Amino acid sequence: MDRMKIIKRRLSMSLRSARPVDESLSELAEQMALDEPSAARDNGEAQVNANTEPMVVCAVHPPASHSAPSFLRQYASHLGRTALRREPGGGLERDRAYLSLHRTGSLGIVHENVKMGSDGESDQASGTSSDEVQSPVRVRMRNNHHRRISNEDINKRLSLPADIRLPEGYLEKFAMNSPPFDKPMSRRLRRASLSEIGFGKLETYIKLDKLGEGTYATVFKGRSKLTDNLVALKEIRLEHEEGAPCTAIREVSLLKDLKHANIVTLHDIIHTEKCLTLVFEYLEKDLKQYMDDCGSIMSVHNVKIFLFQLLRGLAYCHRRKVLHRDLKPQNLLINEKGELKLADFGLARAKSVPTKTYSNEVVTLWYRPPDVLLGSTEYSTPIDMWGVGCIFYEMITGRPLFPGSTVEDELHLIFRILGTPTEETWTGITTSEEFKTYKFPRYNAEPLVNHAPRIDNDGHDLLSLLLQFEAKKRVSAEDALKHSYFKCFGEEVQTLSDITSIFSVKGIQLQKDPGKRSSVFPESTMAHKLGSAPSQYFQREAANPRAQSQNLSSTSTG
Amino acid sequence: MYIEIYSLGGGRSHEPGGTGPPSLAVLRDRPVWAAAGRRQSGGEAETDRDMKKHFRVCRFIMETGVKLGMRSVPVATACVLYHRFFQRARLQVYEPYLVAMSCVYLAGKVEEQHTRTRDIINVSHRYFNSGSVTLECDKEFWDLRDSVVQCELLILRQLNFHVSFEHPHKYLLHYLMSVKSLVNRHAWSRTPVAETSWALLRDCYHGAMCIRHTPQHIAIATLHLALDSYGVELPVGEREWWQVLCVDVTKADIDAVISDLLQLYDMEAKCI
Repeated sequence: MDRMKIIKRRLSMSLRSARPVDESLSELAEQMALDEPSAARDNGEAQVNANTEPMVVCAVHPPASHSAPSFLRQYASHLGRTALRREPGGGLERDRAYLSLHRTGSLGIVHENVKMGSDGESDQASGTSSDEVQSPVRVRMRNNHHRRISNEDINKRLSLPADIRLPEGYLEKFAMNSPPFDKPMSRRLRRASLSEIGFGKLETYIKLDKLGEGTYATVFKGRSKLTDNLVALKEIRLEHEEGAPCTAIREVSLLKDLKHANIVTLHDIIHTEKCLTLVFEYLEKDLKQYMDDCGSIMSVHNVKIFLFQLLRGLAYCHRRKVLHRDLKPQNLLINEKGELKLADFGLARAKSVPTKTYSNEVVTLWYRPPDVLLGSTEYSTPIDMWGVGCIFYEMITGRPLFPGSTVEDELHLIFRILGTPTEETWTGITTSEEFKTYKFPRYNAEPLVNHAPRIDNDGHDLLSLLLQFEAKKRVSAEDALKHSYFKCFGEEVQTLSDITSIFSVKGIQLQKDPGKRSSVFPESTMAHKLGSAPSQYFQREAANPRAQSQNLSSTSTG
Repeated sequence: MYIEIYSLGGGRSHEPGGTGPPSLAVLRDRPVWAAAGRRQSGGEAETDRDMKKHFRVCRFIMETGVKLGMRSVPVATACVLYHRFFQRARLQVYEPYLVAMSCVYLAGKVEEQHTRTRDIINVSHRYFNSGSVTLECDKEFWDLRDSVVQCELLILRQLNFHVSFEHPHKYLLHYLMSVKSLVNRHAWSRTPVAETSWALLRDCYHGAMCIRHTPQHIAIATLHLALDSYGVELPVGEREWWQVLCVDVTKADIDAVISDLLQLYDMEAKCI
């Protein structure tokens, strides 16, 4: 019994008032009731400068007492799309309040994209937010006592309820079973030592041509001395003062676990002083270059093969709760065999079962679904499916479906073709504040087949399933693979193992694309087949594809 | 001075060895950890002393997390990063509080709740020197920030970029919703089962137990302990409630988690 008391007292780590165990529940409840208003007042004072009341609720967790539902609801609201019931009015406002908390950064968190002003509003702990400090400026603590997070606040958040009563059975068992205190507990993991063969060393790879340059990385073509294979070397600069870019961290941590025939393989990671180099398998070109290369007139058969591979890779990601979030032709790589692989997982993220609210600036505008354009931050796997529809259309017609330049322009283009949404086509849209502020004219939907005459009935059906306004109505990648559009591939393609290419199935092969420039320049086919054509070659060749595509389309469709 | 991490090539990183604790020199006046044993010969086993140290550092991570306004899951991620790092590295080689600061920073990136290095440094400075003024933007500050950034890379490399974890939180949340529907509404509102299980779950992260058990098992066990602690009875059916919620969990699994957790509480007293 003594032991139980001791443990009991310890259970509430750093709880302010360690009260005797035997105190009656009612008394404790009373104490709590007394505590709560004062706690609320504390919080209120702590947040005097905060703009709105709800921020107080969100900033500091309520003291552990009888507020379980609100406590959990708050957590649930961070998690976003859970199956939880929300209070009719409160839920959304809470979300907003939480977001606004981030915006103002009142507790010292500064959102990625938001610069907090050094206006004396910031907590002394957070100093002046921006790391790009005007150098001699001193980071001074502000005498802002209202903002202090007191020890009590922390203890409140970091403590067990006072009235917990451990069942004695556990304590007896614990007393019997508990290992001696200094029992060895660590399990040293063995350290992989592939370095002897040459992995992880920059010397193993010969750097060839530069393939492209992004915001935080430069991509080079390279050759591995180990295997003599071509590789793509993605060099991520680290001089950035905020350390490794989080896109790189996410890309690596995700790609390490993804092994699929339609996802680019990460071979190796090399750290050096100034950069982090990711070694990927090399693929000839991306879908954008491929389309340009064949004068934007792809064989409809090849479109089907590419679309199927795209859906396969995506279905695999979605099964593993990974969203790509940045699908576009430039991120789909194609090798000389016609294998299509998803690349650039910098914006992708492992999705947990109850999805979180993501920052809504993620997908390239042209392939961004309307719900995200209208400010939705609670999205899931359907976010990728809209992009698939856009890419499908682009492959069939040779031009992007919705090439908007601004969010409004993008939405305008979408509604002009698919029709301005109404309550029938998009439940709840008429109450969306964002939607109402744009005041779009009422467009009627046009049949997509008018814009994409080469599409067949099955393809048209699949396309319309992908381009649904409402995220939850969009077809999933898994279901799209089973669509009758792909019936001609037979049954075998449905049962391939993850790492098996679709081209292992007999009878599946690329056809010659009608617009292929190789018919005009036969020597480029040779270079391409030999696999030695630098990709700049394709870009240069594709510099003026439009004029030609016009000619060709008139002959092929006419 | 900050940690050298550039001697790469897959092998063990360069260890500063006899050169003393890497960086954090600015924060060194704090007696609690400045005095903490660096004279240990350092055995293979995780000693009592190491466990206490980790306990205190995790406490620091949690306090820092609260002060930075981080949500529960990013704080949990920071703790897991910390424990996973010291699963592979020796406490005597790396300054645990620096590692902890970098873990908080990295967790923010991984969980999309970004924090600034400056904020972390200022909060840590306040933790170690309560009542003092904020660090000035001098060389010390920049060195410290470089240390945090470099240490982040060290962690990434030690963990081989396996930095996204599944946590028990979402499972506990689902289990709580299910269990709530089984319990008499008044009994539920009288007893803080949800807060207790949540607090127990958070406390799991004080020790390496949080990476020894599966998320589902931890969630079931904390809920189990919370229910039992308040004597909340669930309707008895053919199977136990926890078998219904989580197919692969056994009573032994639950007991193992609870035993680890109680050991943490037992140790907590020794730490303070």
